[in-house]
Amino acid sequence: MTVTEDRPTYKWVGTRPIRHDGYEKVIGKARFAADLNLPGQLHAAYLRSPHGHARIISIDTSTAAGMPGVKAVVTGADFPDLDPTDPNFDVSVNVMARGMALYNGHALAAVAASTRAEAAAAVATIQVEYELLPVILTLDESMADDAPLVNEHNITRFVESDGPSNLATANVLERGDVDAAFAAADLVVEREFDTAFVHQGYIEPHGCVVDVGPNGKADIWASSQGHFMVRSLTAAILGWEPSKIKVTPAEIGGGFGGKTTIYLEPIAARLSQMSGRPVKLVMTREEVLRATGPAPASQSRVKIGASNDGELTAIECWFGYTVGCTNDLAGLIGAMSVASYKFPNLKLEAIGMLTNTPKTAAYRAPSAPQAAFAIESVIDEIAQALDMDPIDLRLKNAVVEGDPTAMGMPHPRIGFVECLEALRDSDHYRSPVPDGAARGIGSGFWFNIGEQSSATVNLNEDGTATVITGSPDIGGSRTSMALMAAEELGIDVYSITPVVADTESVGFTDVTEGSRATFSTGMAVVNACRELIEELRARAAKILGVEQDAVTWVDGTAVADGHDPLPLAAITAKAKSTGGPLTVTASLNAGGAGPSFAVHCCDLTVDEETGQVTILRYTATQDAGTAIHPSYVEGQMQGGTVQGIGWALNEEYVFDDEGSMENASFLDYRIPVASDLPMIDTIVIEVPNPAHPYGVRGVGETGIVPPMATIANAIARATSTRMTSLPMSPPKILAALDTP
Amino acid sequence: MSRTHITCTVNGDPVDFLASDDTSLLDALRDELGLTGAKEGCGTGDCGACSVLIDGRLNCSCLVFAPEAEGSDIVTVEGIADGDRLHPLQQTFLEGAALQCGICTPGVLIAAKALLDENPDPTETEIRYALAGNLCRCTGYDKIIRSVQEAAVRLKGVVR
Amino acid sequence: MPRVHLMSDHRRFTNGEAIVESEGATVGAVIAELEQRYPGLGEALTHGASAGVNGVIHSEPQYLAVDPDTDIYFVAPLTGG
Repeated sequence: MTVTEDRPTYKWVGTRPIRHDGYEKVIGKARFAADLNLPGQLHAAYLRSPHGHARIISIDTSTAAGMPGVKAVVTGADFPDLDPTDPNFDVSVNVMARGMALYNGHALAAVAASTRAEAAAAVATIQVEYELLPVILTLDESMADDAPLVNEHNITRFVESDGPSNLATANVLERGDVDAAFAAADLVVEREFDTAFVHQGYIEPHGCVVDVGPNGKADIWASSQGHFMVRSLTAAILGWEPSKIKVTPAEIGGGFGGKTTIYLEPIAARLSQMSGRPVKLVMTREEVLRATGPAPASQSRVKIGASNDGELTAIECWFGYTVGCTNDLAGLIGAMSVASYKFPNLKLEAIGMLTNTPKTAAYRAPSAPQAAFAIESVIDEIAQALDMDPIDLRLKNAVVEGDPTAMGMPHPRIGFVECLEALRDSDHYRSPVPDGAARGIGSGFWFNIGEQSSATVNLNEDGTATVITGSPDIGGSRTSMALMAAEELGIDVYSITPVVADTESVGFTDVTEGSRATFSTGMAVVNACRELIEELRARAAKILGVEQDAVTWVDGTAVADGHDPLPLAAITAKAKSTGGPLTVTASLNAGGAGPSFAVHCCDLTVDEETGQVTILRYTATQDAGTAIHPSYVEGQMQGGTVQGIGWALNEEYVFDDEGSMENASFLDYRIPVASDLPMIDTIVIEVPNPAHPYGVRGVGETGIVPPMATIANAIARATSTRMTSLPMSPPKILAALDTP
Repeated sequence: MSRTHITCTVNGDPVDFLASDDTSLLDALRDELGLTGAKEGCGTGDCGACSVLIDGRLNCSCLVFAPEAEGSDIVTVEGIADGDRLHPLQQTFLEGAALQCGICTPGVLIAAKALLDENPDPTETEIRYALAGNLCRCTGYDKIIRSVQEAAVRLKGVVR
Repeated sequence: MPRVHLMSDHRRFTNGEAIVESEGATVGAVIAELEQRYPGLGEALTHGASAGVNGVIHSEPQYLAVDPDTDIYFVAPLTGG
């Protein structure tokens, strides 16, 4: 269901065609990273640290090098050492340890052999001498006054420091006077919360095939959220020129932020270079969980002050995130942005601390879900204390255009109020809460990003078009590009072929992250189409013998008074005679990404004997600006919601004392399955983003921000017990119910 | 390890290939027969991305040793269409946007087909439990369930 | 004179002032001018901040033109997943 502001009637935008890449995906022909096999390819396997923290005194790979089938072996010594101040230093160390194992699972060496079994057998013979070091696994351990260093190269970002420490970043935002406001408040609620490490859980493990030719040119086939990033990071880590590296994007089996960095490609490239053979390197699921970025664990303290009539006057928060073995900086900003409410007095402080656990990576709206869990829970407690409807409380305080964000800048046109009203008026919210169940509300947003995109639109001789972009399609975006091009050009969406091209065939495009693809790459596509239309008018003018000013473009046709309309195909058929091939490339560094707000509602039951939570009904509202392809907008909302449900109820990393992950499989790191859930109803709100030609707001990330608080708030109303620790798994719920 | 010669039927065609005793059926399908539709998501039988039908029964091919497939009748996602006519499940998945990244889709289609072959009129709960062995991280399962429901309707020949 | 809004972390360079006036035709020129007056601030803004101007956040703002009456908000770099 969609609630739309007044907006133009579109012919293609807003429809639900079958996606152009759908057929290959349902017949098993679509090629993901592990689906490519090159003649003569070798298979590679890793030696990974069995220790949570250790100095590597020596690595002896001599036996491995002589094992049957082995063609190449690498360790950290086979990669250049970047300067610790280099922005790529942390990634370079993470993909292959240099003298220090920083977490259990850290890559120490890799072997390429004719078969996987031979590679694994060789890995088993590698001899490593370790000096075991103290293992830091929690925030408290990392922050302790006498805490050993997790990573001797870590210098705190953004603030002054005296040298290496465990502090990754520290950010403070404030406005007004929180102390005075708390003193004057009628009601003050303060709570502490904590969350565990969780993984993005993409079903496709990381994989690549790399073939380095004798001329030093590397051909990389990889699944990634950004193949230009794969090129630049691989080049930086190897010390090679980016122009010597070509990256072809495979179809990607899920990313959610976890594939916005690299793990494999430099290793496979080096092995390929050394062996003279293509190298296929695919992670096992265990490796994915032990060695790729989870989202940070967190602790937080949230204090909110309110007046008796529900005005939220002050908020003071402290957030501590554990970010793994190297600096994770920008991710913390999400916590800064969680102030969806006017809060005239605000103090938000967030720190990132290092731990001997895998380097964290983005997971949809990085750092916001942890913060929203805390803040939205306290807001719900205030609603309960004031006996106020939780939607009404939020409506009373919701930010609108012009209100300051936590960072001080005014919000542009946003749709938070519209989402709240749509939920309040929804069938779900107007239905009584089922007997024995309870209802929770939660909200969240992500500000979204723009960044760089390029698009090339080629018109074919028959009047069809090829739209070439560089944004890996992780959720149906290539069809959204085709829909926008169809709308601009005025031709059928199936007359358009959307292509995601390799790094040699399309202009530079930033990673598909930050919910930017439909927004930014979409803008590039629209700009290219508009420029093409200018050219088509000029060509039509020649054909018709009129001035270009006399020609307008209507519904895929050149129209001039006194002449029959000239359809696109008639012009493309005369491309040569009117000036040559019809092709335009547009590129931009897009600004004006519009924030996407969401409000969720959940009815659930809590079995007080087993601690099991059963979700009976769930509704998600979210502002998409304009839903280019509504089915895929709904899909983003539903997917993000269910990841949030898993984060809320069950997912967590379990480490032993030495930093070994005890649940590194899908059996024990259990994500939601179909039988855990009801349908996830969606209400798509459309408050167009004025900065995009079709009003698009990115939608990919916001959906994961509200669910944990939404569920915690329902549990609080079901049991009169406020859960403040994630996951809210059955044993923890039982323990909380037993606590007086 | 020496390799065994295995003969079986895959998607209606007689095939034969070599595989060592510790090779999974999944790897044999993908590497020996070039049928890369079935995927490895976990290698431990927990995600269902490798689902195939063996003699009509749903199996995780990553848990089956290739030699065990000797003489059996295997169906993979590449075999459920009828020439160029998609199986109703494939069609409804496309229309219902039941896939986003598509990595789980082959396994889900096989599991859904196994369900509908045996139970042409499943309830929503029955569908959810039949697919509980197929992990999807993108869709939240909603559109998958709806697409299976629609496919069941079409397979029964009821036109809505 | 473009007005510059600073995050808490950066106010340590300006004796606690949250809003300072500056000069320059581009954000880069403004940052250079601030570095002159508040040593260290320019460096911090170059490497640790994006600039919000007229409702749009720019991650590499040095050539972005600004008017005498522009408000520049320096915010921590944004990202996504």
